Amino acid sequence: MSDRTWTVSGLIRAVNEVLEQGFSGVRVEGEVTNLKPSGRGHLYFSLKDEAASLDCVMWASRASRLRFEVEDGLAVMTTGSLTVYPQRGRFQLVVDELEPLGLGALQLAFEQLKRRLDAEGLFAPDRKRPMPGLPSRVGIVTSLSGAALHDMLRVLLRFPNVEVIVAPAAVQGSGAAAEIAGALGRMAGSGLVDVVIVGRGGGSLEDLWAFNEEPVARAIAASPVPVISGVGHEVDFTIADFVADIRAATPTQAAELVVTQLERQVRRLDEGQSALLRDLARHRALAHTRLAGLAGSSGLARLPHRMRLFRARLDRAERLRAVFGRLKERALARLDRATGVLRQLPALVAAGGHRRVVDSRRQQLAQLARARLGRARATLDGHQRALSHLGPRMVLERGYSITTRAGDPRPLRDAGAVGPGVELHTTLARGELRSIVAKRAPRSGGGTERQVAEDQRSLFDDGSGGS
Amino acid sequence: MTGLEDHDVKREKSDQAPEDRFEDQLAKLEEIVARLEDEGVGLEESLDLFEAGMKLVKSCRARLEQVEQRVARLLESEGGEPKTEELEKEEA
Repeated sequence: MSDRTWTVSGLIRAVNEVLEQGFSGVRVEGEVTNLKPSGRGHLYFSLKDEAASLDCVMWASRASRLRFEVEDGLAVMTTGSLTVYPQRGRFQLVVDELEPLGLGALQLAFEQLKRRLDAEGLFAPDRKRPMPGLPSRVGIVTSLSGAALHDMLRVLLRFPNVEVIVAPAAVQGSGAAAEIAGALGRMAGSGLVDVVIVGRGGGSLEDLWAFNEEPVARAIAASPVPVISGVGHEVDFTIADFVADIRAATPTQAAELVVTQLERQVRRLDEGQSALLRDLARHRALAHTRLAGLAGSSGLARLPHRMRLFRARLDRAERLRAVFGRLKERALARLDRATGVLRQLPALVAAGGHRRVVDSRRQQLAQLARARLGRARATLDGHQRALSHLGPRMVLERGYSITTRAGDPRPLRDAGAVGPGVELHTTLARGELRSIVAKRAPRSGGGTERQVAEDQRSLFDDGSGGS
Repeated sequence: MTGLEDHDVKREKSDQAPEDRFEDQLAKLEEIVARLEDEGVGLEESLDLFEAGMKLVKSCRARLEQVEQRVARLLESEGGEPKTEELEKEEA
């Protein structure tokens, strides 16, 4: 074997045969360095430990199945075969399987996608849209065969005015992510729903995996209506949960959030309506009370009585004026009589026939007459003054008063005409008094009163009697 | 291409909030109730407020009752109007 001369190809072929037998399916642990993805999807990198480095290649057919991204510094466990690449004669590991050390592949993929989308701002709180005001048209993206759909419908159909539109999608297995993303896209484009619930029931991390894939995350982010995620159980957090506008712990809870919102809005509406009716009734009652209060107020209630009082006073004033008028007429008549006598005087004197005497007498008489006339005029003036003093106003000014029974304008002359409890109106020079008869004085006192009444009558009935 | 345009138009429609959304109307209704609760409001004004409030109640109820309970399935369709078919209860 030692003296055999090899061709290069032959030697490498021979080495590869040995390597194939002894180093197929080897497991190698190390840290990824010098990662160089090729345009065709192959991964070129080195695995190294503290002392050594090994060239590796992972062909695109294998690399495309990786759920996480291989990156420099990643500690991995690889499985593959050692070969020498004939064209370069380089020794390398052709990697079939590659697993991260420590974290599982799925966790790693999850962390990586989460970090990337977070850096992009897809989880930002200000992207989150609130539950719609009236989410009565509900889109559901889930599997038709899952229990989750049944659970959600059971809750949603509790509300009478709800429309549910289901866009079916496989929620596990290969292709599930693409189906979910597609269903979300169709739902978004339909314009038929106010809110979308995307979810499925519980399962293993592998079962829920579709909800951790980028296409689903992107489809949720692109939805024109708010998206509620309800994936698995409460403990399960998926990328979909982070991107969704609202995260529900389970599909059932997602449906409950919608129904709760609907019920809350209906309650608000009911409360608003009953408050409106109540307030209207209250305002009406308030207005009625005010009106009643006005009608019953003392001012208005006393009005008729006050009117009667005014009328009585007016009547009294009218009567007084009439009395005064009569007094004046009589006085004027007497004045006329006196003037007539005075006028006849010269004629009577002339009839005597003694002209001269007459003439001289005439002057005398004229003087006399003038004097007489002057006296008469003075007397008249006196009468007139007296008369003006005799007016009821002056009578009252002098301290007299007129008493009438309430509602009866005629002056009271006889104490006998009223009994105790009768209401009296007394007109004074200034103002009026209203009083109730407490007691009728005995006859002797009554005499005095009658005397006063008599005086009053004589004053009013006959001007001359009073002077 | 036309399908894409249709899609865009539709999205714009659904994005654009109607002038008075349900919750806006509810908020208005609650505002009116709050004003009515003020005793200082005159009878005339209270009647106006009541009328406006009842209009809102009616409109909200109408919106709510427009939606009839049903469960449908969104069918795949290439462009054009989205289609639905009733979903059998047994399926659910």
